Amino acid sequence: MIFLYIALPLAVAAVLPLVGKISKKALPDLLGNATLAFLLVYTATGAKALLAGGPLVQRLSWFGETVNLQVSVDGFGLFMLLAVQLVSLAVGLFSVNYMDHYGAKANYYALLLVMIAGMNGLILSADLFNVYIFLEVAAVASYALVAYGLEHDELEASFKYLMLSVIASAAILVSIAVLFGMTGGLSFSAVAEGLRSLPSAGVTALCAALFLMGFGLKAALVPFHAWLPDAHPSAPAPISAVLSGLLIKVSGVYALTRIFFNVFGLTPALSQVLMWLGAVSVVVAAFLALGQKDVKRMLAYSSVSQVGYVILGIGLGTPLGVAGGLFHLLNHALAKGLLFLNSGSVQQATGTRNLDEMGGLAKRMPVTAGTTIVGSLSIAGIPPLGGFWSKLLIIMALVQAGEGALAVIAVLASVLTLWYYLILQRKAFFGKLNERWKGVREAPFWMTAATVVLALLVIGVGILFAAVLRTWVNPAVDILTRGF
Amino acid sequence: MVLHIALLAGLVLFSALAILARDLIKSAISLAVSSLLLGIIFFRMGAPYAGVFEISVVAGLITVLFILTIALTKTEGDVRESKLARIVFPLAFVVFALVDALVMKGLLARIPMLQSAAPPGTFSDVLWKERTLDLVGQIAVILAGVFAVLALFRKRDHHD
Repeated sequence: MIFLYIALPLAVAAVLPLVGKISKKALPDLLGNATLAFLLVYTATGAKALLAGGPLVQRLSWFGETVNLQVSVDGFGLFMLLAVQLVSLAVGLFSVNYMDHYGAKANYYALLLVMIAGMNGLILSADLFNVYIFLEVAAVASYALVAYGLEHDELEASFKYLMLSVIASAAILVSIAVLFGMTGGLSFSAVAEGLRSLPSAGVTALCAALFLMGFGLKAALVPFHAWLPDAHPSAPAPISAVLSGLLIKVSGVYALTRIFFNVFGLTPALSQVLMWLGAVSVVVAAFLALGQKDVKRMLAYSSVSQVGYVILGIGLGTPLGVAGGLFHLLNHALAKGLLFLNSGSVQQATGTRNLDEMGGLAKRMPVTAGTTIVGSLSIAGIPPLGGFWSKLLIIMALVQAGEGALAVIAVLASVLTLWYYLILQRKAFFGKLNERWKGVREAPFWMTAATVVLALLVIGVGILFAAVLRTWVNPAVDILTRGF
Repeated sequence: MVLHIALLAGLVLFSALAILARDLIKSAISLAVSSLLLGIIFFRMGAPYAGVFEISVVAGLITVLFILTIALTKTEGDVRESKLARIVFPLAFVVFALVDALVMKGLLARIPMLQSAAPPGTFSDVLWKERTLDLVGQIAVILAGVFAVLALFRKRDHHD
């Protein structure tokens, strides 16, 4: 019953504001997290078995009459669903304590669940217009969540995000309309079929360019990244974790990959464009991250840079490259989710995001400091953590395909990544304890628990990387490179 | 063709006005006019249902909601219009509503005569049987919008 991924969070979201009238905190916490936990357990256990017979298409009936409520999942979709449910649950648990001081918790969980339903819906769609609709579902919820604190900065960041996101949606919608007009279909298979028999390559190229711009904006690839360093730091920490960990990947990378691989087909020219867009993002955003003093802004630029790695690997198009890209997507989702949550713990304890004002916090917040090291080292690509293996796969794939220059860029940018994460560690957690933070305490239970779980996952994925690749990543690679 | 270009130009003009106008009422009315023009364009291009929905929902219902909301939330500190504007805008709105109603009436009467109109039943078949997942998505968008309004207009007494 894969439709549950959409229906359950939506149904729970619909009743949450009413539940909030009865209980302001406990029941919304319980209901929100129980839903997320159920979806994660379902993905890890039930959904895998459903897929054993190949990609699954489900049609539902409505009061006895068959309607086209068609959702489908394959290896790639299931891999993305796993990433979404993993990070979402950690974010839900973290919110139990963190969102207390924002008020209106039931409303917060309702928006979070709608955003997750939107991401799940996008992953389960096999139709261009469904993709667009669920893209908007997740986006509308995320605009409100970015502005959730209602301060000036948050409202401004949300407005900027909204404006650029509307441009992205418009580009995507125009491309869908043109494709519908040319091929007469909207489902991935019908459009792919129609495009094969189409004589005009120019219009196809235009549609591809519009998708690249639209989804590039959603994924915040350089040069479409301007909104992200404002929007992600301004949101409450758990939402930053969802946006950076998941949303840019689902509504940007996933949709782009799905459409370019399964609808257009990856041509050598498109592959080169994607790889260079990825490489430019990796390098430019890494340099921009180096100069940041605001810890969440540094993490946001790091997200742009790491999404560049994902696109670099996937854009290469070889099975090894795609495997590296997708594995890096999972590793980055876990580690960046963890780092944004930790930045929230630090901000709540100290009231600042400025790295220059911190210092020595490891003495007061040992768990937060420890888990931050795990996340940072994974993203920087230090063995045996997950990020090391995924970057290694991407670099090996680049060398294997004769893209030596891009491989060198990937290695050098990885050094830059390590550099700015070491700056973050040194300024925030190491050194002498700043007098101002004598009274600082470790984050409350649920916040710490969520980050510890994510840190253990980051370590676990690194140590068991072969099993993760075999079980979750390879079926996704098969769908993208071989089509089954 | 000339009429078509005029309609498109009007659409762009009123859309721009909707963004540029400082007064919210003027902005809402400009949006309604642009939506009316868009509805007529839809209709002329052989998409009668899209035209009817555009005019009835966007130009009609949503405009009424906008204007009600603006009327209910306006405070003393807002932009005060001149006496002329205060008379002209309610008048303009009434005229617009009349035109809207007349156009709607005309369009509804002409739907069955349109050659390009879909055969009876097809429209609802497409909407309910083929694009059902879109409807689920649209319910989700509405939910997101309602929760967003509840979140953004909540009292801030708990936030430090």
